[in-house]
Amino acid sequence: MVLKNIRDWIVPGVLLMLFMIMPEMACAAETAMVADTVWWVWVLGLFVFTFLLGIVAVIAGVGGGVLYVPIVSSFFPFHIDFVRGTGLLVALAGALSAGAPLLRKGLANLKLALSMSLIGSISSIAGALVGLALPENVIQLSLGLTILGITVIMFLSKNSAYPQIEKPDSLSQVLQIYGIYYDEHLKKEVNWQIHRTPVGLVLFIVIGFMAGMFGLGAGWANVPVFNLVLGAPLRVSVATSVFVLSVNDTAAAWVYLHKGAVLPLIAVPSVAGMMLGTKIGAKLLTKVHTNVVRRVVITLLGVAGLRALLKGLGIWN
Amino acid sequence: MKQETVHADKVQLAYAAILSKATTLSIVFVILGYVVYIFQLLPLSVPIEQVSENWHLRASEFHQNIHAPFGWNALSDFGKGDALSYISILYLGAVTMFCLVAAGFAFLKEKNVIYTVISFVQLLVLIFAATGIISGGH
Repeated sequence: MVLKNIRDWIVPGVLLMLFMIMPEMACAAETAMVADTVWWVWVLGLFVFTFLLGIVAVIAGVGGGVLYVPIVSSFFPFHIDFVRGTGLLVALAGALSAGAPLLRKGLANLKLALSMSLIGSISSIAGALVGLALPENVIQLSLGLTILGITVIMFLSKNSAYPQIEKPDSLSQVLQIYGIYYDEHLKKEVNWQIHRTPVGLVLFIVIGFMAGMFGLGAGWANVPVFNLVLGAPLRVSVATSVFVLSVNDTAAAWVYLHKGAVLPLIAVPSVAGMMLGTKIGAKLLTKVHTNVVRRVVITLLGVAGLRALLKGLGIWN
Repeated sequence: MKQETVHADKVQLAYAAILSKATTLSIVFVILGYVVYIFQLLPLSVPIEQVSENWHLRASEFHQNIHAPFGWNALSDFGKGDALSYISILYLGAVTMFCLVAAGFAFLKEKNVIYTVISFVQLLVLIFAATGIISGGH
């Protein structure tokens, strides 16, 4: 068991070491490349990179948006303003594409999503305005801290497939937030309800703000709040998160669009690459060792978070 | 399949129907717009090389240096390839609003006052963001 765990961490560990011991080489190479490379090489590279990101994101069970912003802002020459604007569109396009089947199957719950997204979308607009007004080093620093926090959450979080709710709270009853869905794993119908709705509303203010500020899709936060705080079943949480994300990211994306922080040259290959990669990743899902991929993704996220933090501190530019 | 659809109410099905069509259309628009842009099938407002020389700058500095189309101003450059690609992204940003209109009316039909109000207030929030009033929109 211990040996297996060690083996699973070898690939991520090697990746981490490579990134950590060669910052000067990486920086020098980056500077030379940025100066010499023609635009289409970056655009093509971005498409290939986001395609691969889409594949590993699905296999690792994370949203593409949360990987896109820290990694692309660390290793591509685009300003973080454009990366954040594109990150929102990447997350939005993914959510819109995934949405319809989840609603038809009854896995996503529109009432739960709308109750949380109304307040979340207002705070995501505020987050986007604040994010575009802050100096770059402050953004990099806070993005680095946020990404490292997300890495810890992803590493430690243990979701609950079917939380037991003894008594729903009164607000959730007024808002008619309860449901029933057919669980393919259990082969039976599952009734569900939620509790702690006011706490959830407060948390979605924070999540919306952070999503808007950093251009992150917020599935990493939506799902634990729905599942662990409100007590919705995991499948309902994941599916409903897609709709909260689509509303919140739409609100913030319009701020980035009006501030000129979206360039089609960068945005379209990113959206296309991520969507194509996500489709391939879904097909590969049953054929690859998801634990190893998840660990690689967590490591990449950790490195990108550290890189953003060091950039913000002016240590590694 | 039958069991899967049983638990989706009429509002969710109405939302899903619009979402599915509007998203497919947006993907087609975005890809076509980009092909027109990248292969310069229409004249551009700003050469691509100039965009790539400045994409390391903050958005505000970028637009001080070059006059690439953004915000609603892109509509006035409709005949330009880069504006067309940008407009296709604006459409992507509008998809959720179309779905909310469908959801709002579906809730209204069910006489569900709370969610009719929530849907239309949510729609207003997104319209407010889309107008660009709060972000000094163009």
